Amino acid sequence: MLSVENLRVVYHDVISILNGVSLKAHNGEISVIIGANGAGKTTLLRAIGGMLDIYEGDIIEGDIKVGDTSLRGLDSTDIIKKYGLTYVMEDRPVFWYLTVEENLAAAAYSRWDGAVKADMERVFGYFPILRNLRNQKAGYTSGGEQQMLAIGMSLMTRPKIILFDEPSLGLAPLVTQELFRIIQRLNEEGLTIVLVEQNAHAALRIGHRGYVLENGRVVLEGSAAALLENEDVREFYLGAGAKERRSYQDAKRYKRRKRWL
Amino acid sequence: MIDLIQTLGAGLLIGFVYGLLGLGIVIIFRASEAFNFAIGEFLVVGSFLFYIFFFDLHLPFIIALPLGLLASAAVGALVEKLSIKPLLGRSGLSMTIITLGLASVLRALVQLIFGAHSYSFFLDLPDITLEVSTLLFPSERIWAGLLSFIAFGLIIFLLFRTRWGVAIRATSESQPKAMAFGIDARFILLIVWALSAMCIAVAGVMISNFGALSYLTGIAGLRAIPVVLIGGMDSIGGALIGGLIVGLCEALVGSYVEPLGLVGFKDVAPYLLLLIVLFIRPYGLFGTVRIERV
Repeated sequence: MLSVENLRVVYHDVISILNGVSLKAHNGEISVIIGANGAGKTTLLRAIGGMLDIYEGDIIEGDIKVGDTSLRGLDSTDIIKKYGLTYVMEDRPVFWYLTVEENLAAAAYSRWDGAVKADMERVFGYFPILRNLRNQKAGYTSGGEQQMLAIGMSLMTRPKIILFDEPSLGLAPLVTQELFRIIQRLNEEGLTIVLVEQNAHAALRIGHRGYVLENGRVVLEGSAAALLENEDVREFYLGAGAKERRSYQDAKRYKRRKRWL
Repeated sequence: MIDLIQTLGAGLLIGFVYGLLGLGIVIIFRASEAFNFAIGEFLVVGSFLFYIFFFDLHLPFIIALPLGLLASAAVGALVEKLSIKPLLGRSGLSMTIITLGLASVLRALVQLIFGAHSYSFFLDLPDITLEVSTLLFPSERIWAGLLSFIAFGLIIFLLFRTRWGVAIRATSESQPKAMAFGIDARFILLIVWALSAMCIAVAGVMISNFGALSYLTGIAGLRAIPVVLIGGMDSIGGALIGGLIVGLCEALVGSYVEPLGLVGFKDVAPYLLLLIVLFIRPYGLFGTVRIERV
């Protein structure tokens, strides 16, 4: 189980992004984190994945644990190797100037076992389209293909837990649907998944638990089904719920009321 | 006609050496986005390290060269660790400026340790002088071209056919992405500097073998500037082509233009050529066409 306890993160020693986030991602579940831009979703994933250093960020309080061991102070290389936790960055983190096959090989760099080829075949099994593109430079493939490649690359690290940062970003609805089906399938095969999404509806539908992040805090949590039904979530993240259109003033008052959550 | 063939051959042979120098610049530029202006000093340091193993310790060439290269790699790695790593995440320009300072420091160190006089430098490699009628290619020139070519080939093999090569190219493209997939980007950068120092050291030993070795030999390293700018700063194949072009240009100007009374013009000619190339192709002949998505 991955648990985040009262996590506070600042960038450049002054810009406070996470102000005490606590959440749990149970083994074998999809935990969905939704929130507006600037809520701290990406920072949260960077912190868990051990990537804060590069972005001049620091954990100043709280802890991140896999099981009972703390991940604080470890960098991404260690976290991937020792805890099988891989972070798939937002915006399709593939290497543009490497071919699809080289991308998969690069992601397997931290491994020394002989099963790399077999795993590559497994990835091609999930994403048959990648097999045809294997000798093409990743920069010349479509957005959907790049995101599939990114997921494939994360599988090459032999993860137990995968953190996805907005996999649907900039993709057509049909492609998004397919991606989410794949994520669901990976989960059914035993992977623990943390999914950060703007596309709240689609994400909550495949998720087990959901968290709403706002201003660096978890303001709402519950089962994904419950969040889908929650009136606040429906109004602010699903774009539905209110019977009649509210005026902007009402919405502002509503936000004020919501803050205690 | 014989004259022309002689000139072209000589130009190609030295071109491979220049290409190797260019490669040393290119792999660092791709990985750190810094231009290593300390290349001349890397060249001198590498040559002196080899000098110690070969001339002072009297080891055979086949052992002294790898040892000298390893020592050069260690120096390259050390330089990266001390001066470049603290700047990780900053712009390539600050690292480039650092290399300027580094050049002064290394040059002064070499003078302190080895003095400012010249050391005679002669490798007793098998004589493979090529002499056909009036054509003459001296043995040390052929060795220089040959060994540089082999070194270049080894680096290409490493970069494009091995797992480390994939990791190096991935890191060169994006450090955050590489780290997110478990590639230790910091270590890879160290390796890249070590590799670069080795390339430059091979070229350095070959260049020293043409004459003598002193701290001023480093000036030859500046040839790498027109090489990489003509070939394209981020193109590995471009470094080789750029090296050959500069070598040929130098040789042709040396035998056909200088006799007209323009003594020393062959040192300027590559820069004139560079100017023309940059007018036509600002990224250099083989600079990567950036992948752009629309």
